[in-house]
Amino acid sequence: MAFNVLIVDDSAVMRAMIGRTLKLSGLPIASILEAPNGEVGLRIIHDEWVDLVLLDVNMPVMNGEEMLRHLRADERTRDLAVIIVSTEGSGTRLAALQELGAAIVHKPFPPETLRDTILRVTGVTDVEYYGTTAATGDHLDF
Amino acid sequence: MSNTTEQLLRQATISTFENLAFLFLEVDGAMAADEAPLDAAVAVDFHGPMRGRLVLRTSSNLLPVIASNMMGEDEAQHMPMQRDALGEIANVVCGNLLPMLVGVEAVFRLDAPHWRTDTADARSGDAPVSRVSFDVEDGRAQAELYVFTGRDWLDAARLAHATA
Repeated sequence: MAFNVLIVDDSAVMRAMIGRTLKLSGLPIASILEAPNGEVGLRIIHDEWVDLVLLDVNMPVMNGEEMLRHLRADERTRDLAVIIVSTEGSGTRLAALQELGAAIVHKPFPPETLRDTILRVTGVTDVEYYGTTAATGDHLDF
Repeated sequence: MSNTTEQLLRQATISTFENLAFLFLEVDGAMAADEAPLDAAVAVDFHGPMRGRLVLRTSSNLLPVIASNMMGEDEAQHMPMQRDALGEIANVVCGNLLPMLVGVEAVFRLDAPHWRTDTADARSGDAPVSRVSFDVEDGRAQAELYVFTGRDWLDAARLAHATA
């Protein structure tokens, strides 16, 4: 399975950095889509097939929490895998996001943290990720 | 207050540079870089229980290095992206520092990073609560924390750290 990933972040630098991390991770990525806020992100999800959303919290127009609530309220996107990638430090706000079924990756993050979190939330197995010949426990660095 | 605040500011700055830009900061370096100018600056204003500003300054020769390490060389060639890269680092330093200082219960809102065309202090008459400086490659970096209102939160945090 190859993922279509949507990166929602108001920082073009962070979108580029996360996209680069995804490409270097060895994860099976079919396409990387980008949005500068939640409103544009929802529009993209309406028009394109998206398997995974990497979502910032603090953004103009529509923030990450609002976008996540929209996703969970819509039957078509209720179960969409979402990872919050943010500097958000408020325990209250993070707990609310987790209750909405999002995983959390805190900025700054080492690349392997993002990769491992994606593997966990998407349920991709080691065999699917590493391939059958390399699924003997070899560690993959990048 | 200064010691704890300074330690946390140093910790947040080092961690962010390492993880986002793959640059390792030297705290007490005695390198030729000590002479490098701090001629690029970006600021992030924050609002919440405390209101203030984090200012991050670097030598301008570091900007392409930071941007390239974060995004790859193609994206890093343009000055606006180089400035945005420094802004993103300041944003992450600030976002990590505030809960370290006053606890995770507090909710802060961070403004978008803004580029500073001067290298003066944040506001006339204000002195930073804390300042940390580093050598990094062939340049320097410096982070400053200004608190305009709500300093009692820092006092409470100092007390908590001292009695922990």
